Amino acid sequence: MSGTGGKGHLSAIALVAPLFLFIAVFFLWPLGTMMSQAVSDTAVLRILPQTAKVAASWDPETPPTAEMKDALAADLRAADDRQAVGDMTRRLNSAQPGFRTLMSRTTRALRKDDAPPLSEIDERWDDPRFWQAITGALSPTTDRYLLAAVDLERDVSGNIVAMPEEASANRDIMIRTFWIGALVTLACLAIGFPYAMLIASTEGWKRQLLLGAVLLPLWTSLLVRTAAWFIILQDNGLINAVITGLGISSEPLALIFNRTGVVIAMTHVLLPLMVLPIYSVLISIPGNLMPAAASLGANPLRAFVRVLLPLSLRGVASGSLLVFMTAIGYYITPALIGGAGDQMISSVIAFYATGSANWGMAGALGIVLLVVTLLLYAVYGRLSAAEERRS
Amino acid sequence: MSELRIRFDRVTKCFGSLCVVDDLELDIAKGEFVSLLGPSGSGKTTLLMMLAGFERPTKGRILVDGAVVDTTPTYKRDMGVVFQNYALFPHMSVGDNIAFPLQMRGVGKAEIAERVARALDMVQLSALADRWPAQLSGGQQQRVALARALVFEPRVVLMDEPLGALDKNLREQMQLDIRALHNRLGLTIVFVTHDQSEALTMSDRIAVFNKGKIEQIGTPREIYDHPQTRFVANFIGETNLLEGTVAGRSADGLRVRLANGAELTASASDNYTPGENVLVSIRPERIRLDALHGGDNQFTAKVADSVYQGNHLRIQLDEQAHDFVIHLDRKAEQHAPGADVTARFQPDDCWVIRP
Amino acid sequence: MLLKSARLTFGTLAVIFLLAPLIAILPLAFTSSQFLTYPIPEFSLRWFDELFTAAAWRRAIFNSLVIGGGTTVLATVLGTLAALGLRNWNLPFKGTVRTLFLLPMVVPAVVMGVGMQVLFVQFGIASSYFGVIVAHTIVAIPFVVVSVIGGLGGIDRRVELAAASLGASPVTVFRRVTLPLAMPGILSGAVLAFATSLDEVVLTLFVAGPNQRTLARQMFATIRENISPAIAAAAFLFIVGTIALAIIALLVRRQIAARRGG
Repeated sequence: MSGTGGKGHLSAIALVAPLFLFIAVFFLWPLGTMMSQAVSDTAVLRILPQTAKVAASWDPETPPTAEMKDALAADLRAADDRQAVGDMTRRLNSAQPGFRTLMSRTTRALRKDDAPPLSEIDERWDDPRFWQAITGALSPTTDRYLLAAVDLERDVSGNIVAMPEEASANRDIMIRTFWIGALVTLACLAIGFPYAMLIASTEGWKRQLLLGAVLLPLWTSLLVRTAAWFIILQDNGLINAVITGLGISSEPLALIFNRTGVVIAMTHVLLPLMVLPIYSVLISIPGNLMPAAASLGANPLRAFVRVLLPLSLRGVASGSLLVFMTAIGYYITPALIGGAGDQMISSVIAFYATGSANWGMAGALGIVLLVVTLLLYAVYGRLSAAEERRS
Repeated sequence: MSELRIRFDRVTKCFGSLCVVDDLELDIAKGEFVSLLGPSGSGKTTLLMMLAGFERPTKGRILVDGAVVDTTPTYKRDMGVVFQNYALFPHMSVGDNIAFPLQMRGVGKAEIAERVARALDMVQLSALADRWPAQLSGGQQQRVALARALVFEPRVVLMDEPLGALDKNLREQMQLDIRALHNRLGLTIVFVTHDQSEALTMSDRIAVFNKGKIEQIGTPREIYDHPQTRFVANFIGETNLLEGTVAGRSADGLRVRLANGAELTASASDNYTPGENVLVSIRPERIRLDALHGGDNQFTAKVADSVYQGNHLRIQLDEQAHDFVIHLDRKAEQHAPGADVTARFQPDDCWVIRP
Repeated sequence: MLLKSARLTFGTLAVIFLLAPLIAILPLAFTSSQFLTYPIPEFSLRWFDELFTAAAWRRAIFNSLVIGGGTTVLATVLGTLAALGLRNWNLPFKGTVRTLFLLPMVVPAVVMGVGMQVLFVQFGIASSYFGVIVAHTIVAIPFVVVSVIGGLGGIDRRVELAAASLGASPVTVFRRVTLPLAMPGILSGAVLAFATSLDEVVLTLFVAGPNQRTLARQMFATIRENISPAIAAAAFLFIVGTIALAIIALLVRRQIAARRGG
């Protein structure tokens, strides 16, 4: 009970241990797996072990040797996992276009008993560029996904260079993610700060109503809220019905599957996260400070700027961080309300992971999102710890 | 002293490098009401916590009925504890709160009902058995806590500033009630308080704590009339302390020469040698203001300040009478500031302390 | 005066913005039309009928109840034990351990999903009920931990000391005092865990197979592929359920507050 002795330590550890293990296995391990996916690159090495051995001594500037071709042919004959071969081909094709046709022609030819040498199956096997792609992909770890996540790549001689404009759009997607996050944060702040002040300045049923209006959406299913906005924003939805009905515009406004819809819906979804921290700071400010400022000669505006605003700034900072941090990781709302041009980083990660099974890219972008989120959370944690110490 | 119940045998309790109880010895007899009195942080509550088993001594032993209890867990110590904030179980009714210790001891249902009823009757709360603690006033909660700590007839009842949260009238009523229960049931009570008048009202003996040590232990009368240290004289009630040196002995007591050359006669317990530096303590209510005749223990002075305080008049004299503070019966004639007066007191009423 | 009317206008508009979407979707649950648009041609319960009879929706509701139930039990047990342990934790790294338990609330679901998808295949729990329950439990844990820690924080230690002094052994103190007093926190943690599981889509997309399609996942697909008023009917149930739960929680809390003096 007193917990002063070793027995207390032991029981505390025994109670915490199950959750600790659970979190370690089912949360930390998956995050680790995701990260290792981003740097692991065994798709080629797994299928071509003999080739890897032989090619280790090859000078990339010279034509491929006969031993290398024999080793490759032997490796391909030995490969029986079609899925793994497909993974390898995809990996090689992304490094050197043309590998897909080359591989399918080669594996088909090799299936015959009296297969000709590789050079005769396809003359591209004499081209060092295809062999450079193979040797470049043989290392079990790679930084290509991480580099690609920020639109960088390595050239033939291994230097980090910017990708060609048209090759990847990851940087654009990140900028778009942060931009949407910032827009949503600003919109939440513009509505949330005065709203929090309004709640703090009322009493009784009015305060209950205003608080309830924030809490009810917070408790309501995210999907329900997104579905509701879908219904309201669609071309023949409520808003457009009002607009065309009043004759403001004969054409319905485009409110869904674009940026406007995403920002409106996300602002609605995340507004409580802005209002509540500001509100909790505001009600902790003694009610007699504003009258005190007034008695000392400050008019209401000055009293607000000099007293209330500085005191509530911590709540504003916490709320903004919380909204921004949550917004940049959002998936569902942009996926359902947004158009192709409004997809954020989470959608791209989901696309790589579930759509194209490109775990490397998914992992690399995941690391970027994870790092940014954790940094923001660390700042948030410091802010709220400082807040706790003050009160 | 009758049969020994509790002995603190050179008990020390340190938190890190800070020792809040320092090599302390204290014996408490069966049926005794002992108050631990001192300022906050003087170690009195920590001593109680060790006795209850919530804390363990860093050094030394605690014996109850002759047996060392240091390794006995709280729930086997058989001590009723009354906490400052009452610590009633908020999820149990008043009756269930009081029944709890009996249930822990496996008492039968019928007997529990009977003893709970008796305990409620004892604290005059019979009508409230089905209420929840939060529905009671502070004083009622206090009585429930008391009933809960007494119902299982513990060997010792420990009270940690139990009346601190009550207002003055209720507190004084509860002091008398607890005192009466103690007398009626023959309880052994260890009572922690920082309120000296509470300790004086209730206790058989008072242990005055300062910085982890007991400065003095004795009956309320001994503590008040014959403090042994400057700390005790100052902490218990208000007093006038004069510095001086021993000049010799007379038939009435010890002759003390004050800094301004005046001499007075005081009573003293110990042997003091001439020339020794001493303090003389004179209680404000023992000084009279009249100018009857010349002689010992008289100072003429002017009144510096005079304040009416309800049941007495508080008068402060100027430096000719050592800035004496005097409490006079409130019916005594008004002494306006500036009035010439003579302050007089008996040798019995001034007490010599080693500084 | 001007300020007052400005406040009133702003407050009204903000409340409308917050509540209108939730209110607007409700009547559409009772439309007889194929489309989710106003005006509603006729009142009809056909979409509720669809919800409870169509195989896909029935299956989804069943799955959500099974997975939500499993998540609630697992998350509440693990979270409550850990919160109790953290309370008596006199060792270093208390803050770190706590933060670790809250982290699943912060890490974007998609990021967790990528790792879980790969790893759960290796564990052999991909596309299984157990796998989905585990994934949901991860995101439900922070809510349970926060809520139970909050509940335990409200318990006065001296009440437990008092119980010990009255003769209760540590086990009895826990059973008779600590646990009952922590119960409101544990229960609200359990409710939050169930609600989290019910609303979870992203991790379900990554780790569930077609047999574990939950109600939320089904709603996601419906909005994305062929939006129908069944979604409004489902939303109606969600919103009514939320309000009912909120009212129950409020009443229970009121009653406890009345007894325990808040």
